[in-house]
Amino acid sequence: MPAEHADAFSSRPFPPSTSPVPLDSGFETQTLEQLLGTPLEPSRWIGWRLRLLVLAVLLGCVGIFLLIRTLAAWPHVDAVWRANDRGQIELVSSSEPGLTTLRGRTLLGVGGGDMPMAALDALALQRSARWLVNDSERDRHRALQEQLARAMEQRDVKLYFSDGVTTEVHAQPRGLASLGALFWLLAALALVLYLVSMVVLLARPSMRSAVYAGMSLCQAGNLLFIAVESVVDLGLPRGFNDWDLQARMAFDLVTAAAIVHATTVHPRPIDGASWLAALAWGLAFALIALQSIHQLPAAWWWTQAVTAAMGVMVIVQLTWSNRREPHPFAVVLRRFGVIAVGTWILLTVAIASADQLPALRHNIAAIGSVIWYVFIASLLLLMPFLSRSQPVMREFSMLAAISTVATSLDLLFAALFSLSQFASLTLSLFLSLGLYAGARQWILNQMMGSSMLTTERMFEQLYRIAREVELHPERTAELLSQLLRELFEPLEMSWVDRHASHSRVVADGSTLLVPVPELAPRDDELEAPGSLLLRFAQRGRRMFTQDDTRLADRVVEQLKRAVAFDQAVEQGRSEERARLAQDLHDDIGARLLTLMYKAQSPEMEDYLRHTLQDLKTLTRGLAAPSHRLSHAAAEWKTDITQRLTAAHCDLAWSFSFDRDMMLSVVQWSALTRVLRELVSNAIAHAQASQVDIDFTLQDERLVLTISDNGVGRNPHAWSHGLGLGGVRKRVKQLGGEVEWNENEPIGIVCRVRIDELSDRH
Amino acid sequence: MAVKVLILEDNPVARSFLCRVVRESFSDAIAITEAGDLESARREIGLTGGPRGLPGVESFKLILVDLELPDGNGMELLAELAQYPATKIVTTLYSDDDHLFPALQRGADGYLLKEDRFEVLVEELQKIVRGQPPLSPAIARRLLTHFRQGVGAEGSSDSGFAPLPGFSTSRPAPLERPAPMDHERLTPRENEVLTYLSKGFTIKEIAALMGIKWFTVNDHIKSIYKKLNVSSRAEAAVLASKQGLV
Repeated sequence: MPAEHADAFSSRPFPPSTSPVPLDSGFETQTLEQLLGTPLEPSRWIGWRLRLLVLAVLLGCVGIFLLIRTLAAWPHVDAVWRANDRGQIELVSSSEPGLTTLRGRTLLGVGGGDMPMAALDALALQRSARWLVNDSERDRHRALQEQLARAMEQRDVKLYFSDGVTTEVHAQPRGLASLGALFWLLAALALVLYLVSMVVLLARPSMRSAVYAGMSLCQAGNLLFIAVESVVDLGLPRGFNDWDLQARMAFDLVTAAAIVHATTVHPRPIDGASWLAALAWGLAFALIALQSIHQLPAAWWWTQAVTAAMGVMVIVQLTWSNRREPHPFAVVLRRFGVIAVGTWILLTVAIASADQLPALRHNIAAIGSVIWYVFIASLLLLMPFLSRSQPVMREFSMLAAISTVATSLDLLFAALFSLSQFASLTLSLFLSLGLYAGARQWILNQMMGSSMLTTERMFEQLYRIAREVELHPERTAELLSQLLRELFEPLEMSWVDRHASHSRVVADGSTLLVPVPELAPRDDELEAPGSLLLRFAQRGRRMFTQDDTRLADRVVEQLKRAVAFDQAVEQGRSEERARLAQDLHDDIGARLLTLMYKAQSPEMEDYLRHTLQDLKTLTRGLAAPSHRLSHAAAEWKTDITQRLTAAHCDLAWSFSFDRDMMLSVVQWSALTRVLRELVSNAIAHAQASQVDIDFTLQDERLVLTISDNGVGRNPHAWSHGLGLGGVRKRVKQLGGEVEWNENEPIGIVCRVRIDELSDRH
Repeated sequence: MAVKVLILEDNPVARSFLCRVVRESFSDAIAITEAGDLESARREIGLTGGPRGLPGVESFKLILVDLELPDGNGMELLAELAQYPATKIVTTLYSDDDHLFPALQRGADGYLLKEDRFEVLVEELQKIVRGQPPLSPAIARRLLTHFRQGVGAEGSSDSGFAPLPGFSTSRPAPLERPAPMDHERLTPRENEVLTYLSKGFTIKEIAALMGIKWFTVNDHIKSIYKKLNVSSRAEAAVLASKQGLV
């Protein structure tokens, strides 16, 4: 298979005029080169190459035009012939007035003017000598065609039919209209292939491009020959036949050698590449040279065998290269290579085995070979665009697989069960379509290595990761890479320090570059925005395509949108909370304050002060989303110190934590109020002169001990009023427990234990 | 002659409570002027020589300013009285740094929390007048940020309390700072004191940790207040001259 497209296309867009993908200037080529270890030197589309391309296009069109003119002017007898089972030519239909009555008769020979009758048989209907197995038959074919051509040149052709009937018909130029659909299609395909090869060659003139252009040109030539042969039913132009055999064998051999050459250097150079390439080329040219001087016995066998051997060699090389360093391109090429070589061998075997049945052989050679050449030509055409679009490739794979199955079945039925051509074709088409319907998904998976996430799962993932990104914007890159990993299953993933505006495919579709969005303002400049580099999709079994870049861009966009939405919702919420907090604070706070100033007793005043402080804690909790533990601790300590000092009480404060976590509002306000309540108890009820507070947070486990030296005793007998009940409630809210015990020698010790004080609550 | 005191407070009950606090705090004869809103406070100040406080004229020696007033924010008055030679104290229910720090920036010499006990308030008031202003951990953190990186980044990252969007109307944004100046830098000692304060250490504990006397710690705090004040005033002046107000 051709491999040259890699340099010319994937790493760089197609010629600017035809490419929908703009050059991504946001990413420096140099960086990529360093990363990928392959040169990506951008070649400019310089004027002279453009001019050369225009010239090539013109030449191609003129060539085709001349060919069409020549064919249209070639004299022919308007009749349809077919080979019958006895190896004779039978007239099927004709619009010639002299021939209409002779339908079903056997044509024995042809002559004209002063030329004697030349005997004909079914071999004369064989359009190309390329698919004749025996050397002797090929010689006879050449002789027959020679006679036919001479007869046609006589203009008035004498046709000798069975039962001694002789007719003379006038051979006329066939005209443009009767060239046939097959001719136009094949000629167009050949022209397109020729143009693509020229574009590849001129876009980046190099050895590799030359090899690709070489094989494309050969296949274009093959197609043209087949196109010409499809026009002619009886009697090829004089001299064409000699040419035809030589050229088509040469085309096949050169193509095979070129593919061997290509796969030795691409996608990865293999050991002894030049030796292998030289061997292939040497073999091909030796065969061509021998054949051209008619010194090659069993030429057909040689050609078929050498071509098949080279195909097998290509597959081996690709396997080896992929094993050394996985590359999706090698995998895809090998897949197509197996199909192409398999079909080739099948075709060879079918033709060889049908040697004794002229009618059958005629069909196989005509249909089978056309299908094979069209397949290989489309494959060549497709190569430069493999990483462009996944559906194209998928559909092509389907087409290739189905037509291969259909062809093989057709050949099999015809060869084994001696079914008629129509019956076997119908049956095989029917069967292969059924197979297609039944095994479509399986084939798709096999061809594309597709085990993509289902839409549902992907949505779920996207949603989950959007949540996470919102919580931890600094982990965007990590989370995105996790999502992409599940999406594409790349073999390697790395971070590059460059920001690109869009995702893009680089290096022959082996690499996808996805920019990481900046979802959160960054505090430090250490983490510059960058991109993720994914290499070898589906563990190296698939190539990245333009569809993948679109998908990646969509994912990134959705992520951005989800986070933006979440942020907007969160902001709205916090604004609302803040407004609520301010209202509470201003209105209720002021009233409580007034009540407090007017309090009749110190107890009432304390109670109101306590309430006011709770209100303040509540409103502050409402307004601020989270509190750093160390900051909260500093405030707790200051607050408690102040209150204990006012009550002439000493404080021993010990605070230790292994992680300065962010307390949620619930955690902060619960801990604040628990501490306040417990300290109030020590002051008011126990009348302590010393309070010890020990706060330890280790591995998410919080132990808070508050002991006093007051007069309190026998805590189990306490009635739990508002204060202690509140403490219990809040500790329970945090998933912990609280217990009061007698302190030795005097006082009470209260222990709060929360086993899991995590960021989540 | 009696010491003149202005108490600006809209709640009459709170006002009379504060009057009691002031009377209890000082042994001198006290002449208290009460104001219920910004308007009347401005009028009273105008009668005693205007916002600049002309020398020789009988001016207020102590001004207590409530932040939440019916006709505006006490912060406005503080800004107007930047040059007024009196001890200015903010009395508020808001104890968080988001509300208090801008007041200190505008020249307040200290703050009193209205819900504190009578005795606590008396003690705190005496301390402020004596030059021992309070400094909560949250405000210490804000100060550290303020002096470390100048205004701008302040308040957003280090305080741990995100600025409250809903409160922004009653709290003027911190002033812009053009370039760091000499009087805006803290000495290493002051920096150390602030750091300890931000971690919740008491003045006694800081004195012990630094091996100095507690009143030396206090001097540092006073100096920090002054620097904040001066720097804020300088900023205000620069800003005003930029805008062609002076």
